[in-house]
Amino acid sequence: MMETHEEQIFTSEELEILQEIMNIAFGKSAADLADVIDTHVVLNVPFIDIMQVTDLPSYILNYVKDYRNISIVEQNFWGRFKGDALLVFSSGSGKELITMLQHGENTSLESDPIEILERETLMEVGNIIIGACVGKLAELLKDVVTYTPPMIILERFYNDAISENHFDPDKTAIVLKTDFSFTEGNVSGFLFLITSNDSIQWMKEALRVFIAQYE
Amino acid sequence: MDEGGVAGFYRTIRMIFQQIFDAINLGIVILDRDLKVQGWNRWMEVHSGIPVNDIINTDIFNSFPHLNNSKFIRSCKSVFTFGNFCFFSQKLHHYLFPFKTTSYSDFRFDYMQQSCAMGPLRNDNNEITNLFIYVQDMTEVAVYEHKLVEMNMRDGLTGIYNRRFLETKLKEEFNRHKRYGGVFSIIMFDIDFFKKVNDTYGHQCGDFILKSISSRVATLIRNVDFMARYGGEEFCCLLPETGIQAATAVAERFRSAIEHQENNFDGNLIKVTISLGVAEFKVEMESPHSLIKKTDEALYRAKREGRNRISVMEWEETVHP
Repeated sequence: MMETHEEQIFTSEELEILQEIMNIAFGKSAADLADVIDTHVVLNVPFIDIMQVTDLPSYILNYVKDYRNISIVEQNFWGRFKGDALLVFSSGSGKELITMLQHGENTSLESDPIEILERETLMEVGNIIIGACVGKLAELLKDVVTYTPPMIILERFYNDAISENHFDPDKTAIVLKTDFSFTEGNVSGFLFLITSNDSIQWMKEALRVFIAQYE
Repeated sequence: MDEGGVAGFYRTIRMIFQQIFDAINLGIVILDRDLKVQGWNRWMEVHSGIPVNDIINTDIFNSFPHLNNSKFIRSCKSVFTFGNFCFFSQKLHHYLFPFKTTSYSDFRFDYMQQSCAMGPLRNDNNEITNLFIYVQDMTEVAVYEHKLVEMNMRDGLTGIYNRRFLETKLKEEFNRHKRYGGVFSIIMFDIDFFKKVNDTYGHQCGDFILKSISSRVATLIRNVDFMARYGGEEFCCLLPETGIQAATAVAERFRSAIEHQENNFDGNLIKVTISLGVAEFKVEMESPHSLIKKTDEALYRAKREGRNRISVMEWEETVHP
């Protein structure tokens, strides 16, 4: 079923190029992330899946169900490449990141409850990871994107965190998925980049231009 | 368009953008890769008191040393490395630049509440050469929000908590104690013959008595306790970490204080009494409602038995064989 969608939208050659671009992009992002947040982020080989938007929630839930509780940072990105980035963190990631990023420096106010720090930290790190991955991908496709401020769902049971009405049902979703983990601390999760048919024509052209420079 | 025409066109565009840059009701700062200030609009001049000529080409940390922290530097790095946008929301950060507030509200923040964002600026080759920061004054919104939160949790007449707030707190306490055990109690009290006060002296006097009683009782509770106006002349007090005996002693203090209090309304010395019901949390209780019900029953017993007195909930321990 999924394969028919893939065939309709991208040729196998195009999918191969897209896969290659993602490998390069995420590889570069991981290296640069180390420089920005002083810790190594392992981004695993990304996958591309194409599906009806209505199948998205169950698709995502299937990946994150082992986490039980999750936190989600979500951002929209806008360029010719446009869509929705969902970064799903495993339970407890926020608290781990607070310890990792503070480096003994206490910039927070005494009165800040831990929940506010957790939100802030997850949004900051989420924003950086999303920006790194989307930015590199866009750069390789010769595009420049801007972002909406991150939104967050903090530590909620996975089944309640992702809802059906989150996505426009008439659209096809191109899902670029990777899992990541930090070498330090117990932080891991998934990144889903969801782009829709609006971007497809442009993407096909960008992929052609990309490969042309090697031919 | 001939050469001069194109140049003229761009000159006009530049002039227009310069005017917008200075006229907009938003702070705009431009930094280069060394974090030296390359742009500082009129809004920033007005609110910081630093003229553009004094800050241009200087290190931003010279003028704002508190920005020299890992979060700010990390954000700048991610803008230059990835072309990221970074957001500093008012809720989390309150402000990036410590400016005086300009609002005339009675609720004052120490500094202007700001929502800020940071993003990349690119040259013709698409390379990121600078970053921009925009600063939006959110003080008024933050004041409204603060007021709304207050209104939502306080009773308009007496200024103590309202029923909604108490019920939320009660639910929290109840669930916590269900899970981890421990003890807490509630006291409910009601003004005796309040209708008579209203009928004799008028509703304004009734309001005065409500205020006077709630403020007297408020002086008798601890910081950790919550007192709320529960109904018309009915009040409820939540006492965390307090067993029924201690709670009954507290109730007696309320009763005695109100009995001896003289309320002076327009030269009339009015004395009232209160009846009280006390109950404590039991693990066997199913919901916060069961606890309220027990307290309410005790309160009505106190009323039935002659008023100006305390009644404690009846509870039969379930005996496990």
